[in-house]
Amino acid sequence: MTTNRRQVLQTIGGTGAALVAQSFLGVPALAQNKPLRIGIIAPKSGVVGTIGECGLRGTLFAVERINAAGGIAGRKVELIVEEETNPKDSIERLRKLVLQDKVDCVQGVVSSGVSLAMGAVAEEMKALLVFWDGTTQDGVKETMTNPRYVFRSTDNECEAVMSSLLAIKHWKGKFATIAGINPDYSYGRNNFAAFQALLKKFGVETKLVADQWPKVGTLDLTSHVAALKAAKPDLIFSSLLFADLPIFMKTAHGAGLMDGKTKFVFPGAGFQHTLLKKEFTPEGMIFGHNTLYFDLENATPLQRFFVQDYASKYKDYPHWEADRAYFAMQIYREGVEKAQKAKKAWPSTEDIINAMEGLKVESLGGPAEMRKDHIPEQTFYQGMTTHKNRYDFPTLTDVTKMYSDQLQKPTGVDFWKWIETANIKL
Amino acid sequence: MTSFFDVLIGGVFHASVLFLVAAGLQLVFGVQRIVNLACGSFYALGAYFGISAVNWTSANGAPPWTFLPVLIVAGILLGAIGPFIERLLRTIYRRDEAFQLLLTFALVLMFQDVLRFFWGANPQQLGNLSMSYGKVTLGEVSFPTYNVLVMAASLGVAVGLGVFLRRTRYGRVLRATAENREMAEALGADVRGIYATVFTLGTILGTVGGALVVPTAAASLDMPVELVVEAFAVVVIGGLGSMRGALAGALVVGLTRALAISFYAELEVLAIYVIVIAVLVIRPAGLFGKPVE
Repeated sequence: MTTNRRQVLQTIGGTGAALVAQSFLGVPALAQNKPLRIGIIAPKSGVVGTIGECGLRGTLFAVERINAAGGIAGRKVELIVEEETNPKDSIERLRKLVLQDKVDCVQGVVSSGVSLAMGAVAEEMKALLVFWDGTTQDGVKETMTNPRYVFRSTDNECEAVMSSLLAIKHWKGKFATIAGINPDYSYGRNNFAAFQALLKKFGVETKLVADQWPKVGTLDLTSHVAALKAAKPDLIFSSLLFADLPIFMKTAHGAGLMDGKTKFVFPGAGFQHTLLKKEFTPEGMIFGHNTLYFDLENATPLQRFFVQDYASKYKDYPHWEADRAYFAMQIYREGVEKAQKAKKAWPSTEDIINAMEGLKVESLGGPAEMRKDHIPEQTFYQGMTTHKNRYDFPTLTDVTKMYSDQLQKPTGVDFWKWIETANIKL
Repeated sequence: MTSFFDVLIGGVFHASVLFLVAAGLQLVFGVQRIVNLACGSFYALGAYFGISAVNWTSANGAPPWTFLPVLIVAGILLGAIGPFIERLLRTIYRRDEAFQLLLTFALVLMFQDVLRFFWGANPQQLGNLSMSYGKVTLGEVSFPTYNVLVMAASLGVAVGLGVFLRRTRYGRVLRATAENREMAEALGADVRGIYATVFTLGTILGTVGGALVVPTAAASLDMPVELVVEAFAVVVIGGLGSMRGALAGALVVGLTRALAISFYAELEVLAIYVIVIAVLVIRPAGLFGKPVE
């Protein structure tokens, strides 16, 4: 899909169906006469461009279904898409969407750097904002303890916690030295620290022999791989997840880093799953697919339909950003409809927010809900890579499914203390 | 020792690619006195065009081993944009360096949109083609044969440029033009033609560099700026306008980066710029540059 900046994606249908729906729902005519406008802020370029693109496709899928069913509470959805770039410019686009385009809700954002800054501005503007990804945490410390208008995504560390648990479960006693190669920002730092904290919690004694922190977007990882190889670790933990991950995999394969007995853990590999070709991505690695594993054996009919639709339209297979975007749209939709039903009139933003709190929905990846502190709980998937499939890239075997209430800290609790004290099961 | 050799190979490989781009930068500055920030864009263009060329030849039945010559030819063909850019730069040859920087930086931004228009915003890759030539294994050390070929190509370019500039008649004319443009012109040198040739050669060094690196990395919209920053460290260390300086500077930057990554990963950039500052303070003209009189 190609979406130009500021291009309005007016999705299926006109006003006819909305007018028909209006007569059944008894919603005030004034509200229903115009489409519901939703602003999307997503990256379309750079190393996170593919992530934003997949998210946009998830949104389009949701909106097509919504409009085909008559819209949200009878109002068709119209999208206005803006590009996510740096925090300053992205915030300007948020202001434009709210003040100029007068959107009813804003969704999107992948980068934590942007979401961290944008959350506070949305609160100040009293603009309803549902993040796909990113966070409002500084490190793992929540900066918006009681947000009113901002709904964020699950903790970024969920996938690291899960893959750490899987590594301990499968390989405890089989590794004594560890190394890390993680992106040099809070996500990578926190993930690797969480991995080490969980090793300690479960009594796995290890020695750190190398830790590499390439900048996001580093495209020559030859020296990093050489340093890892020189350290001879038993296990390498890597939160690389953008365009740098396939490069790392190729470089490591070429340098012989994967020829030995070293074990690999990639909590965020699902973002790049189709680019990690079998020829350089071995079997037996732990891969995280976050909240959407496209090839799930017992997938819901919704997921099956989405994956088929995605594959036929885009000749590709979706990753979890599509689920995050779908969830954002679905939680908003059901929030509006719940509030509208309760009020028997078009709800205010405050009514919609109240309705969204504690709401449970079916997302593409499975059951999901929005906690009252505006942080969701979602279903996570990870497993071991296998080549036994019909694709040219590895899929998962021995898939583990976990609900995020086992992977993320409860409301108001310090992340590191939670790791120390929580009753986390392997 | 094995570990050190791994690190060394990584550093020399990075230096090889840096050298190709920095050599283009040096050549253009040495003769035309233009500080060409757009060298990073030529590098990125070469990477993207190389991917398209390989995909096209593969789709038309070319065997995988042909990708290296395809990449080199693609890089050379892309050099055809050189004369057109040089025509644009003629307007600022005699103007202040600030104009040169502004204009060539504008080119960087424009080329970024050209890349986005033709290839989209997402990073592009070439799968695992770099492993088509297999691996070189020396004891416990192993690395792709392709990386050795890139290092050899870079060395070949360095030697070839040296011979061209020092041993050929045209090379002498180029050096004479670099020394004194007016005198060379008075003696009958076709300075306009020389400038167009030099700029095209500089462009080809960048585009071939980009094309050669892409099988081991990826092409992305951010690569021009990332590369320019390192290429300038190379020319500051080696000395602006010096080809031997480009080679020495690239080796210093490549090896320093590799060693920093191995021992103090967080000091990767700092380590390089400590050397840059030291060179600027102790020997401002760089290791092989001529002091300004």
